[in-house]
Amino acid sequence: MGNEFVGDKPRRYITQNSELITIFIMATVKINGKEITVEDGTLILDAARQAGFEIPTFCYQARLSRLGSCRMCLVEIAGQKKLQPSCVTPVLHGMEIFTQNETVKTARASMLEFLLANHPLDCPTCDKGGECELQDLTFKYGPRQSPFAERKRRFHEKDEILSPVIVKNHNRCIHCERCVRICDEAVGAKALGGIGRGAMLKETSFLNKELDCDHCGNCIEVCPVGSFMSLPYRYKSRPWDLVETDTVCPFCATGCQLTIGTRNGSVLRVRSKIETGINKETLCARGRFGYDFIQSEKRLTKPMAKKNGRLTECSWEEAISQAKNKLSSAKKIAGIASARLTNEELYLFQKLMRNVFRTNNIDSGSRWTDKRTTDALINACNLSEGGTSIFEALKADLIFIIGSSISDENPITDYLIRTTAADKRKNLILAYPRRIKLDSSATISLKHTPGSEDIVISGILNALQNQAVKTDGSQVSESDIATIAQRMKTASTISIFLGTDSLRFANGKEMLLGIANLAKALKASGKNIKVMPLLDRCNQRGAWDMGVHPSFLPGYKKTNSDGMDCTGILEASSKGEMDAIYIIGEDIVSMYPDAKFAKEALSKAGFIIVQDMFLTETAKMADIVLPGASYAEKEGTWTNQEGRLQRLRRALQPIKAAREDLSILSSIGGFEYKSARDVFEEIRKEAPGYQDISFDSLNNTGVLVKGHGAEKQGSRGQGVKGSSETKINPSNPRTLEPSNPYLDDYPFLLITGNHLFHSGRLSQKADVLKRLLPESFVEISDKDAAALGIKEGDRVIVKGKHHEAVLRVRVKQGSLKGTAFIPENFEDVPVNCFFKKGEGIPRVKISKQ
Amino acid sequence: MLSNKTIENIKKTIAKYPKKRSASMDALMIAQQECGYLTEEALREIASILDISTVQLNEIAAFYTMYNKKPVGKYHVQVCTNVSCSLLGAEHIVEVLSKKLGTKKGETTPDNKFTLSEVECLGSCGTAPMMQINDDYYENLTDAKIEEILKGLK
Ligand code: SF4
Ligand code: SF4
Ligand code: SF4
Ligand code: FES
Ligand code: FES
Repeated sequence: MGNEFVGDKPRRYITQNSELITIFIMATVKINGKEITVEDGTLILDAARQAGFEIPTFCYQARLSRLGSCRMCLVEIAGQKKLQPSCVTPVLHGMEIFTQNETVKTARASMLEFLLANHPLDCPTCDKGGECELQDLTFKYGPRQSPFAERKRRFHEKDEILSPVIVKNHNRCIHCERCVRICDEAVGAKALGGIGRGAMLKETSFLNKELDCDHCGNCIEVCPVGSFMSLPYRYKSRPWDLVETDTVCPFCATGCQLTIGTRNGSVLRVRSKIETGINKETLCARGRFGYDFIQSEKRLTKPMAKKNGRLTECSWEEAISQAKNKLSSAKKIAGIASARLTNEELYLFQKLMRNVFRTNNIDSGSRWTDKRTTDALINACNLSEGGTSIFEALKADLIFIIGSSISDENPITDYLIRTTAADKRKNLILAYPRRIKLDSSATISLKHTPGSEDIVISGILNALQNQAVKTDGSQVSESDIATIAQRMKTASTISIFLGTDSLRFANGKEMLLGIANLAKALKASGKNIKVMPLLDRCNQRGAWDMGVHPSFLPGYKKTNSDGMDCTGILEASSKGEMDAIYIIGEDIVSMYPDAKFAKEALSKAGFIIVQDMFLTETAKMADIVLPGASYAEKEGTWTNQEGRLQRLRRALQPIKAAREDLSILSSIGGFEYKSARDVFEEIRKEAPGYQDISFDSLNNTGVLVKGHGAEKQGSRGQGVKGSSETKINPSNPRTLEPSNPYLDDYPFLLITGNHLFHSGRLSQKADVLKRLLPESFVEISDKDAAALGIKEGDRVIVKGKHHEAVLRVRVKQGSLKGTAFIPENFEDVPVNCFFKKGEGIPRVKISKQ
Repeated sequence: MLSNKTIENIKKTIAKYPKKRSASMDALMIAQQECGYLTEEALREIASILDISTVQLNEIAAFYTMYNKKPVGKYHVQVCTNVSCSLLGAEHIVEVLSKKLGTKKGETTPDNKFTLSEVECLGSCGTAPMMQINDDYYENLTDAKIEEILKGLK
């Protein structure tokens, strides 16, 4: 892991003249006779590792709070009678330390003997056997004998099932508390505790009941023994029979590293590796358990063509030649590609559409408002200027997150921020209408009216410039705004994180321009500002970098003429002006925020080619369906929201007759690329930010993409720069729905987004994830629930102007009154039916069934 | 459901601490005084008042023997079996009590009169072996003394 991942530990002192000075004190110590100089305060464990001496540990984990309870890491310090735990003892200048003398070795062996005394040693039936830290350390340091002849502690005979994904064997637990700490400190779910005492301590859920938690499985991952186990994986394989492939999570744009384990061509599990990737051993439920879609029975396995109005299987030759003919003969064509495709595929897609079929009508994603808003985001986050490490961004004194349900949309980014915010000197300011998990770590939580983000931002800007603050329509108090401005004034480094609400709401552009202005103002006052996007599709940033956008080419070079964005394409299609549309991996009918319009528009398209893994609602409307591949079946790269380029590696061949998307694109375009690497070589030439990166040297850390060069800032050329100079006039939220006569009849603003267990519609095909939450729901605040006499779990009718649904209620304490949330993921509750193009955030009425 | 009075008392005690969660132990005791033992519902309610997770409150309740996790009889006989008491015959005391009361440790007599529990050090090591019945200490126990004490509990 590069240095980027290691925090420096400066000591800050205030001098008598109130000056702040930062110094790094060094300490020189002798470890096993070897002299080493380290930063003062370094743990003996780390110093020893730096000096090249391995010290075994159980309870120590770098990202967790220090516990010092297992005593595996004992070392001898000259002059001290007792051995000391090196994982909690810092070095002192001049210390002489022994990590491998006889005393230490005997101590280690005895600690293991104690642990084994109560350990069932049922390795032959334990899932962990072969990759168990207790086995491995006993093998290496153990006493090689077992004089203990008493009865062993025993909690139960059968493993206890704690959730649809977690099964627990308490007998094997060695009480390292890693599970409890990861759940509390990183995940923030606080779902586990140490119940009881002494040998009878049980690390488990509240009253040992079924867990109602994030189901992230991080407790399983950190457990050194086979105490926490994955239920879907239990008894499926011995670890040494698995073939493991390191790749990247296909869901959100956090870009977690994960490892797929396959055996005889079946995907059996996904795990994460300690201190690997930005996620450092953590994953969320979808990354860890959302793998069974890869081999789902519902996968498309053969190409299909419409014959007599019905999709019928056909040969690849026939499908490709039809697609090619239609795309080349059609007059007006367009293409929409999913931001889950690899950079190579996206690059090839735009090249195919632009160079072969001569159109700039291309877009990625179909969930947003329009390209002007995406341009504003690209500009506000300076995407064309290269990547920013999240670890750099998190060093800021103040972190401001707006418009993101980050705990649900980017769970591991949420973990990283939670751990950072544990430092009380930092300010974490969160602005999002619903109460989310990260709120409990925030110094200030703003609950503003959805769609009033621009008011909040201009309020802060005005307060910073000592101008009058108006927050009408946002439900945020002026004093909160003043406090935020005050905190921003005193911070010297500020990181702003922008969520996808900015792309979903009608006021998104104003909000983004506001952020650009705010960043500018803060920069002008001498602060170090970083603005980063929080994106919900793994390769959204890559899609823009690759020029899958109507007005710029790879590397944000401006096109000669602007094409149409997704909305434009659909509008044209609805007028019967689209002769052919090529759609890859994007379920427009299910995701476009106006289902009826999208469906009608596509029904008027001359010819539709859909390339996907599943027969989505959109694919059902296609004339040709081409079965593509999943992330586990392809090679390539993704660029996460930080701008970090990471490598995908193939774990399996595409299912049955499905083909890698890259090869489908090559066939249609008649390109001669042999591999993703070949395409990447071309990307390096076209997108300057990728120029210095070598495909083969991409490791688990990835590489931050560089800036694409000043003269080519396409995003700047979009007129965005000009408008960012102008003063923003926040739109009044009452005018957001200017012509809505139903205001009182429909008292709730309906917002949507991803649920923690889901990402778009893809994760719906993962049965394990479906089991975690079988049914959709509508979430409202406790205040609204009380006012309506509704309890958690009640069935209610959610009625909008265009759609209605019957759903169970979830009550969220602390969410903003008048806000309802329905996840956008559930196939049977298509939330986009509530939306109408041009009407902004829909309003709904909620009543008891 | 905790009574309004109990909730009031918990809120009052919270005011004594810089952080809500610091009042956990007091809050558990206050609730136990009302309910006799800590029900699942009471734990949930307290956790929500204190703004901590249910399992974190569960940890505290489970660690201390003074919190009852099950209903107890009219007289809760708690025998210390920690080191000092143990060295001076605590196990024998438990046996005697078990026979006299006709109940095993950790259990309650069918008439709901006595619950016999083993507990950790009650800070009365100087007068070991000892036990606590409801709120009172009984020290320097002998078989005869136990006979006497039990007679007094009707
Ligand atoms: S699955 Fe995640 S949230 Fe649930 S107990 Fe384990 S670590 Fe905590
Ligand atoms: S369950 Fe595993 S991680 Fe948790 S305390 Fe026990 S051994 Fe450690
Ligand atoms: S969905 Fe996002 S946060 Fe979850 S594992 Fe995947 S990349 Fe990480
Ligand atoms: S690793 Fe140091 S005490 Fe557990
Ligand atoms: S050991 Fe029994 S009171 Fe201390």
